[in-house]
Amino acid sequence: MSRNQTNRRVDEIRAKSSELENHLIDEYSSGRLSRRDFVRRGTVLGMSLSAVGFLASACGTGKKTGTTGGGGGTAVQAGGKEVQVRAGGTLKLGMSPGPSTEIDPIKVADEGGLGIMSQTAEFLSWSDSKLHLQPRLAESWKPNADGSVWTFKIRQGVKFHDGTPMTAEDVAASINALSDPKGGSNALSTFAGVLSKDSAKATDASTVTFELDAPNGNFPYLLSSDNYNAIIVPKDLSGKWEKTFPGTGPWKLDRYTPNSGVSYVKNPDYWDKSRIPKLDSQQVKFYPKEQAQILALQSGDVDVLIHFSPTGGKALLNDPKITVIELRSSVHREVHMRNDKKPFDDKRVRQAMALAVDRNALVQGLFAGKADLGNDSPFAPVFPSTDKSVPQRQQDLEKAKALMQQAGVSNVSLTLNTWDGFELGDLAQLLQNDAAKIGIKLKPNITDAGTYYGDAVFGKSPWLDSVMGITDYGHRGVPNVFLNAPLQSKGVWNAAHFHNPTYDGLVKEYTAALDIGAQRTAAKKIQELLLDESPILYPYFYFFLTGTKKNVGNVEVSAMGHYDITKAGFTTGA
Amino acid sequence: MARFIAKRLALGLITLFLLSVLVFCMANVLPGNVGRRVLGPFASPTAVAALNHQLGTDQPVLKQYWNQMKGYVHGDMGRSVSTRQPISEVLWPALGHSAKLAVLAFLIVVPLSILGGVVAALKEGSVRDRVITVGGLSATAIPDFVWAVVLLIVLSLGLGIFPSTAAWPDGSGILTQIKYLLLPAFCLVFVLFGYIARMARAGTIEALDADYTRTAVIKGLPQRTVLWRHVLRNSLLPTIAVVATQVGYLMGGLVVIELIFNYQGIGQMIFRAATQKDFPALEAAVLVVGVVFLVSTLVADVLYSVLNPRVRLGSADS
Repeated sequence: MSRNQTNRRVDEIRAKSSELENHLIDEYSSGRLSRRDFVRRGTVLGMSLSAVGFLASACGTGKKTGTTGGGGGTAVQAGGKEVQVRAGGTLKLGMSPGPSTEIDPIKVADEGGLGIMSQTAEFLSWSDSKLHLQPRLAESWKPNADGSVWTFKIRQGVKFHDGTPMTAEDVAASINALSDPKGGSNALSTFAGVLSKDSAKATDASTVTFELDAPNGNFPYLLSSDNYNAIIVPKDLSGKWEKTFPGTGPWKLDRYTPNSGVSYVKNPDYWDKSRIPKLDSQQVKFYPKEQAQILALQSGDVDVLIHFSPTGGKALLNDPKITVIELRSSVHREVHMRNDKKPFDDKRVRQAMALAVDRNALVQGLFAGKADLGNDSPFAPVFPSTDKSVPQRQQDLEKAKALMQQAGVSNVSLTLNTWDGFELGDLAQLLQNDAAKIGIKLKPNITDAGTYYGDAVFGKSPWLDSVMGITDYGHRGVPNVFLNAPLQSKGVWNAAHFHNPTYDGLVKEYTAALDIGAQRTAAKKIQELLLDESPILYPYFYFFLTGTKKNVGNVEVSAMGHYDITKAGFTTGA
Repeated sequence: MARFIAKRLALGLITLFLLSVLVFCMANVLPGNVGRRVLGPFASPTAVAALNHQLGTDQPVLKQYWNQMKGYVHGDMGRSVSTRQPISEVLWPALGHSAKLAVLAFLIVVPLSILGGVVAALKEGSVRDRVITVGGLSATAIPDFVWAVVLLIVLSLGLGIFPSTAAWPDGSGILTQIKYLLLPAFCLVFVLFGYIARMARAGTIEALDADYTRTAVIKGLPQRTVLWRHVLRNSLLPTIAVVATQVGYLMGGLVVIELIFNYQGIGQMIFRAATQKDFPALEAAVLVVGVVFLVSTLVADVLYSVLNPRVRLGSADS
């Protein structure tokens, strides 16, 4: 393509693009946005992948700020290099701990449940391993000028497994079921302040519009695979979803045995011919204890572990027979310090505690290095909106001791509450050692999850009431949830009892920002404010790890816990 | 005898009732509520309240208990509040799994440990005796889950002889099932061998010392006949009692073994129900284990009296 032709094509795309999209293109061509972030934001706003890919090479400044680089549209290809696999066969997968409750799309709240649900059923879009949105049951989507109304075009000619066509009405009904406060839906906290009951409307056979409670630049993420519950099911779903797992996906349910396992066969009539599974079938086995699944992979009883923890699966990291797939994520721990209770009502004590922690040692000791350092804000390095110019907080015992002295606090004893899951107990002990160095005596109180979370409302929960505690947060594709509930003055998970109107205002600014430049400006202010106030310690964001045998290729996962094995299979010659 | 059994069964019913009350109280002391457990700590309170209402777990506890008991009388165990499956669909297969493992473990350990005990007793104080008693005791002192990990690492990961799980593939035949069950069964064998062998040894030593044995030897019976007819028959009586008390352990107490080997037995079901605060499932599983306990001790007592006419059941209100 000559320079002229290129410019003409750019003009054509620009002419067809909305104000928001043009703004995004401006941001990118001026160099304020990396190629990677441009692609990601473009897909969120509903621009087609081919257009985004073309613009990425045509309008780029040549600076490769992102990690994907490369030419043409390849930047949007998810996952690693595709390898040759032979068709057919059955892949055996291990899942720990597996779904613990009934598989009801509205209520599923655990990684196991969503992992097995998204084999037979699909979302409007797929948030891939690089946090790009790929269209699935929605062909495209567009916001209005301020991002308060979003219009989704629904793919036509898609059929549910029983042969009935999937329509815009199915989409509207599936999403409305999630926003109905009477349904016991698990998505209610995600949709709070964003989407109210019955605000999804099928305006014609192929269009659904969503009228939001407030403008939201990240709305498509809330309907993507990032939202556990937003799978599209038949509108007249009678009886239980669990019986047949009805959906439109590339796999059909073969047999589901609660607490034991599930098996699927490929759906030869799947609408996207390029994603019809290469394998004939897959069998997933559930392991209530992680150690059992690690052994199962090592001894060859399963071919793939969808997710294992760096703590439990250290043995796999150096096993020559195992391939480990690493994915950066926003999975993290929040060590809250009650801002309204002694001794943490003085921010110097909170800062001292944060400075006492040796984050590098935590990442090495707990995760064998498979984690990013946290900088005491929920802006994980994986989020494009995170401003990486904010200096990383490191251990500084001298400064911490000085701050303690200034605050006039010495020899305090405190209980550090948490529960006996993941690496939480070990983290509590390491924090205890670090805190002792500056004269804070921590006494870890490690209970079961039910005791720690209690009723999960203020006044009836050690999590929300204790002076200090460690809480586990799973992965999200965007930081919005992390910024709201645990930190806003009125946040329902505000265990730190952090009340800061400036912060609340900044979050509003961040949420309403539709382009990445504005988001990053707000993010920087939030990061600096939180670093100074230190209401919560964010020691690290650890990686999502998947293990496969050497003869298995093309397994793709997302840090949410979804797995996609439509392209996977056994490598040739094995 | 019939009166004895009837009386024991009546007492058993009272025991089960008390057990059900106890489990119910404990389940309600556990923190958190069902809706919260199902939806997780981050779900909104509205959603939790709505789910609790759907499940009926927002009703007064006594009413929940009453509903559960009413169901039992009608032969209905109700549904699990976490997975919404009928409990009978989970409980009976789990019980079957536990029974399979228990039977296999017994088939190996009972003959082995009785043989060990008798062999040790015949040469009391010898090296052979010491090896069997000290070895058996040491093996018993090591918890079952430690054996599980050791055996897994050596026999499954290291030598690759056995599968690392006890969950056999769907549709496996009996021989494959046994292959999958051998490793967990070995763990139980190690734990039980020392115990049962000691009982057998003590019983044998006592029987060897008894007057009737001396009489039998003096009247010139061959050693083999003395052993089979007089010594063994008497020495095994206490062993039977010990074996019977282990049935309860094997049928409900193998939580950790079942978790390590990912085996869907009743121990794992109880563990899951307790962590999920799934009261109907917990209550049903514990009651079934209670019945197994009661029946196995009753059978042991009856067997004891059949083998030993000196124990007259019923007549002396034993």
